[in-house]
Amino acid sequence: MVYEALDFYDIESECTEEEIMVRDMVRDWVDEEVIPNIEAACREGRFPEEWGKALGEMGVLGMTIDEKYGCAGMSYVAYGLVCQELERGDSGLRSFASVQGSLAMFPISAFGSEEQKMHYLPKMASGEWIGCFGLTEPDYGSNPGDMITKASDQGDHYLLNGAKMWITNGTVADVAVVWAKLDGVIRGFIVEKNDPGFSAPEMTGKHSLKASVTSELVFQDCKIPKDRMLPSVKGLKGPFSCLNNARFGISWGAIGSAQACFHSAKEYALSRIQFDHPIASYQLVQNKLSWMLREITKGQLLALNLGRKKDAGTWIPEQISLAKMNNVDMALEIARMARDIHGANGILDEYPIMRHMANLESVKTYEGTHDIHNLIIGRWITGIQSFTRTL
Amino acid sequence: MPEIAVLVKRVPDTNAKIAISGDRVDLSSVKWVMSPYDEFALEAAMMHKESNGGTVTAITLGTPDCDKVLKDAKAIGVDRIVRVWDDSWSDLDSNQVQSALVSALKELSTEVVYCGKSAADTGASSTGPGVAERMGWASVSNIIGIEFEDAGVEVLIPRNIGNARTGVSLPAVISCDKGFCKPRKPNVKGIMMAKRAQVEVLGADIPTSSINIVSHTPPPQKASGQKFEGAGNVPTVVAALRNDANVI
Amino acid sequence: MTEIIVIAETKDGIISPVTSELVSAAIVLGGNPTVIVPGVNDTAATSGAAISGVSKVIACVGEQFSNYDAAAWASAIDACAPAGVIICAATQNGKDLGSRLAARRAVSVVQDVVAIDGGVLTSPIYSGKAMQNVSLQGDAVVSIRANTFSPSSDGGNAEISVMNQSADLKTAVREMIAKASERLDVAEADIIISGGRGMQDPANFAHLERVADTLGAAVGASRAAVDAWEDISHGMQVGQTGKTVNPSLYIAVGISGAIQHLAGMRTSKYIVAINKDAEAPIFQHADYGIVATWQDALPILESELKALLG
Repeated sequence: MVYEALDFYDIESECTEEEIMVRDMVRDWVDEEVIPNIEAACREGRFPEEWGKALGEMGVLGMTIDEKYGCAGMSYVAYGLVCQELERGDSGLRSFASVQGSLAMFPISAFGSEEQKMHYLPKMASGEWIGCFGLTEPDYGSNPGDMITKASDQGDHYLLNGAKMWITNGTVADVAVVWAKLDGVIRGFIVEKNDPGFSAPEMTGKHSLKASVTSELVFQDCKIPKDRMLPSVKGLKGPFSCLNNARFGISWGAIGSAQACFHSAKEYALSRIQFDHPIASYQLVQNKLSWMLREITKGQLLALNLGRKKDAGTWIPEQISLAKMNNVDMALEIARMARDIHGANGILDEYPIMRHMANLESVKTYEGTHDIHNLIIGRWITGIQSFTRTL
Repeated sequence: MPEIAVLVKRVPDTNAKIAISGDRVDLSSVKWVMSPYDEFALEAAMMHKESNGGTVTAITLGTPDCDKVLKDAKAIGVDRIVRVWDDSWSDLDSNQVQSALVSALKELSTEVVYCGKSAADTGASSTGPGVAERMGWASVSNIIGIEFEDAGVEVLIPRNIGNARTGVSLPAVISCDKGFCKPRKPNVKGIMMAKRAQVEVLGADIPTSSINIVSHTPPPQKASGQKFEGAGNVPTVVAALRNDANVI
Repeated sequence: MTEIIVIAETKDGIISPVTSELVSAAIVLGGNPTVIVPGVNDTAATSGAAISGVSKVIACVGEQFSNYDAAAWASAIDACAPAGVIICAATQNGKDLGSRLAARRAVSVVQDVVAIDGGVLTSPIYSGKAMQNVSLQGDAVVSIRANTFSPSSDGGNAEISVMNQSADLKTAVREMIAKASERLDVAEADIIISGGRGMQDPANFAHLERVADTLGAAVGASRAAVDAWEDISHGMQVGQTGKTVNPSLYIAVGISGAIQHLAGMRTSKYIVAINKDAEAPIFQHADYGIVATWQDALPILESELKALLG
């Protein structure tokens, strides 16, 4: 069915012409290249390599970064719209773009030396080099500050030791931005795929984000040159600033998943006949569709407002937490409700519902779990942090 | 180094519902796009430039709302974008549209014009050959293939008995069917270029209209479905498809 | 009274039947027309003169009429035709020529007319989603779709005059290439004939292909057929996870009409269903349903279409 985006409050009129052009460019590409092929990619459990190249050709990788590094210098609203359209295709696809742009390119652009920027960013923007981001460890998820991956200064090089887990793109990455403790302080390091002592085995057996590569990163006396440390950031501020950008993208991306489920549910309800009438004519179904519209519309307004604040530089991290938490949560509920409307048909891969639902379970947890975002907001309200018992 | 022009038109998305309000179509809530065949014309114009050099100018006719299709053309790489319009104009007929476009083409010293084989709104296929006649040029329509030569082009035109490989010397108007090329897509850098690009607006003297639009009306209602028992009714259905439905 | 001029449609030097329909249209529009018969010689003019209601025939003769060349045809025909309203057939070349003639005379062209009533000409716009009704205020060129008017009968005996008009060719046909029998993609095609699991064996899709060839149609398939048979490729699949299509005519053969299939084709302008099961849901969506086996129906369909379309 031809996709018609829900835009109940006319968000489009709040966007600039070029923001809409970028959105439509990605929307058309997703319709033509992604949606017809995504189910096969999921069954095979692979991320189609050509999609990464296409994102590079379209110029959406790291698209908010300055033009002098081969990027586009576009607004965060444009980036949000791109995430929305990509995730309407699949969360795994949006994850690829988020990791490349917000988690790998952004720290290099924000905290890297001029040489590092010139060396890595143009090739990453074009999709020639794929990046990944190593923060989470097997035993440190919500609590990255206690990470055990270490770097040691060997005079003319660093040695990295430790392991990272749940790393999107890890196995296929050419460049990894890895956070490790140097003399007890968290620092960012750029690791390249052929560095000695570095390996990135793929994690298999996922029921979610099946068209996305998830990996471990293993460092065993991994030797990297001295000029690979990001010079301008120390402590958790580094990785957290990356996460803020990625979470911002997710808050828009989730709207895309919700739109895909809503669109499918609406079309299905209008064409499915039971008791002689389309099920869309029954009040219980209309109630569900109305709820979906309400939640998507609120999510859109939240995302747009946050986007404008991001572009103006007037945002606070708690606002990003709220948007990420709310929009993923509503998208997951909409996916579940859409499955209900589709009846038994909803479990088939003829429809995108179960795939989005399963994907969103990951999205709810990664980049700060739903609960952690609640605690971030709880701290903002009360002034009391409740992450740890050490009060 | 030919001066290449491509005519692009803003039309309702082909999936849009067309409503009638009073005695005119009501297009206030449709989504607008570049007419689909124009995308192939645009691609052919870009290919011509890549092969023979020159510049590509995208031209549309209409109100400032039509700037979007020019920006779309700019985003995929045309050199200039021109809109032909005068605020005193409304409901132009083919004679007026062609006169206005010809005036712009002369001002731009164009040597070859590409356009879609028909526009998705009128479906008339009049503009390409009409513009060619007024310029005193050759025209070929519905082309499904093109090769670029030093002083002309060679095109493939479908005919009843096969495809005619046809040489055309320039100047000429070439109206394009789909299928012979994959229109290139914009990218973010192109879109940023388009954002900064200026639309040049040209006026023209046009004749008075010689037709009067009396009304727009909804299409005739389709008869409700008919079901026939047995293969013996196939000829009846074929006749209905020919005479009632007009689809074969 | 404005003079009406009909440009005869010819094929291989013979006047096409649609010309008699154009004469009927001319009479409805306001008078017995002058018919211009273009050709490399004047032999076709005789059959033009035999159409009843024709006031006179002008055989417009020149070498340029051996192949269609828009500029040369327009220039020669324009020289032969008196002032007035020109009517031509809304065929590919007819519309092209009409556009040039109108431009040459600096008048408007009204294309694809499907009805004329009291001086009001009706044409479909927006792919038939609306109709435009116009009146002429002076000379114009009008193209008329086939099957709009019943043909004027034979029995006329109009006077024929011959005018030799040469014109310079602006294009040159270098070679005719036989059309490749490459199958159209369902997403591109204006007519689609699709088979489902009711076709029983993928080899039987050959019957669909033969019908498709006569119509210039694409061959599609339901998911059930694509899943069941390797020879039926995913690219042919119409439906929720296949292509969404919007042709003028969709012929479903041996397809029951599962909701996932309907999702991909229900916006087709006309739907024909052939299925042996009278209760198949596809019939609820068909404009024309035929309860029959494909073995019985397809051979008749093929021969009927061949007779009609040659």
